[in-house]
Amino acid sequence: MSVQETRRAIKPVSPLREAAQMFCRNRPAIFGTVLLSLIVAAVFYGTFISGADPYEIVWAPQAFPGEAENIPLGTDYMGRDILTGLLKGGGPTIAVGLSAALITVVIGISVGAMAGYFGGWADNALMRFTEFFQVLPALLFAMVLVTLFSPTLTTIAIAIGIVSWPQTARLTRAEFLRIRNLEYVTAARAVGAGNNRIIWRVILPNALPPLIVSATLTIGVAILFEAGLSFLGLGDPNTMSWGLMIGANRSYLLDAWWPVTFPGLAIFLTVLAVSLIGDGLNDAFNPKLRQR
Amino acid sequence: MSEPLLKVDDLRVEFDTRHGRVTALDGVSFDLMPAETLGIVGESGCGKSITALSLMGLIPSPPGHVTGGRIEFEGNDIAAMTKRRQRQMRGHDIAMIFQEPMTSLNPVFTIGDQIAEAILLHQDVSRGEARNRSIELLKTVGMPEAERRARAFPHELSGGMRQRVMIAMAISCRPRILIADEPTTALDVTVQAQIFELMRGIQEEFGVAIMLITHDMGAIAEMADRVAVMYAGRIIEEGDADEILDNPLHPYTRGLIGCIPLLGKEARDDGRPPKLAEIPGVVPPLHLLGQGCSFADRCPLVHDRCHREKPLLTGSTHCVACHATQMEAA
Repeated sequence: MSVQETRRAIKPVSPLREAAQMFCRNRPAIFGTVLLSLIVAAVFYGTFISGADPYEIVWAPQAFPGEAENIPLGTDYMGRDILTGLLKGGGPTIAVGLSAALITVVIGISVGAMAGYFGGWADNALMRFTEFFQVLPALLFAMVLVTLFSPTLTTIAIAIGIVSWPQTARLTRAEFLRIRNLEYVTAARAVGAGNNRIIWRVILPNALPPLIVSATLTIGVAILFEAGLSFLGLGDPNTMSWGLMIGANRSYLLDAWWPVTFPGLAIFLTVLAVSLIGDGLNDAFNPKLRQR
Repeated sequence: MSEPLLKVDDLRVEFDTRHGRVTALDGVSFDLMPAETLGIVGESGCGKSITALSLMGLIPSPPGHVTGGRIEFEGNDIAAMTKRRQRQMRGHDIAMIFQEPMTSLNPVFTIGDQIAEAILLHQDVSRGEARNRSIELLKTVGMPEAERRARAFPHELSGGMRQRVMIAMAISCRPRILIADEPTTALDVTVQAQIFELMRGIQEEFGVAIMLITHDMGAIAEMADRVAVMYAGRIIEEGDADEILDNPLHPYTRGLIGCIPLLGKEARDDGRPPKLAEIPGVVPPLHLLGQGCSFADRCPLVHDRCHREKPLLTGSTHCVACHATQMEAA
């Protein structure tokens, strides 16, 4: 081996890059990534490129898929094109999922980090507060929040975020409890780092892997939540979403299965893709678990 | 004689444990002069590391409590300083290197970033400038190919290299005091010699006072100007390193020195190497310390008084806390 080659061989590899390589060798994760990309591309097309209106009545109600030309997935109980609905409705669904996950992560990490790092009475107070949210049935609590405030996409996302952050908080706290006693934290304190710097720059980067996994999985859960709320008629009636399509057509399920099935399938595939990615990330960050 | 850089006076530290409150440091006093090396020696659990951590204000609390005593840095009481000033002192005036170079570096950042962070904490320089200095520091501590190694992550370096990184980080702000808590315990003997060599070089170059915490009398012989021997939270003997090594007064110190394997020692009658001495027994658990001398149960020179009364540290340059040797001298 020449000197040049040796140098290349021992080129520094960051833990993140290592995880990325691991992820790319994981077939289900790649499948999930491809699937999600296709869904996002389709939704992007429907939202920004196609001019079709999902509320427009294009044919007779409950037309069977393929019954008419240009209507491959049929129409719903009012004669609206289901394919257009899927393409248009994906945007709000995914947006709610993402923003709810973001809210979850921000609240969860802040609360968990404070509790785990400071311990003592701060930990006690914050964890009792967290438990208060944990003991409420999540879907019921979200329904209450959405009905209290008018059901718009924003309030739905906030409601889902508010009911799902406790798990992230507990996970963050556990990681902080583990890491705060490690020697490099003491070493950071010994060079004069303050609490802020230690929490955000020393401990958090080391606590991230499980949090990234949990955040990814939260996106899937939030999408399901949105669907559940819409199914119960608590969605935003003015914004086409997959959940809304299921909710609006559910009364006619026995007459026509397709207006409910296709949005359901879309949700299933999206959540599946997100979960596969989450699992892939989990394996990538915990290579030892792969040998199970 | 000049003023001491660091003056520790009657320091007491207590810990809450399952057995109630125990005394981890019981009236520890010592001075650290500028540019000298003070060795603190003793077995595991005798309070060496707690001494170091309390100087840095890093005693984990709870369960630890500093319940008495004064620590003065250049004549100023550290406890009386603001939290902000105390934090500035860490790293800037007093730096510390740890026992486990494997775990004392943050695994997710490159070593160059970590040294640069330490510089940015205390000095008003740009990020680029801090990076350049971190490479300079890596060169100073003898890191080969410093530019490239600055981009390496801790897990890509050997233990000795990581300890060099820790030293680079510690000297990044030119501290007056360097506390080294068993800096070579986790390293190979050959690497150990290199690290000591490096520490001596740094002391010469920067005039830093080193407080070397170790359980290894060999390290003391090699590095220290003065020695304080600790046992069960107290200093039991203190003096010049040469004096203590040649003429140890406390039976515990004698035992420690007897534990060093010496190649030059006379062989036994049957030609085998000399038998290694050992101190019988172990350090008593802190919650079982009685009113007498804490070494009494293991001491070859023990007599009644040792069980009744704690010996005090007496003497002017070579101090010892032992009833037997004090009576001998009197």
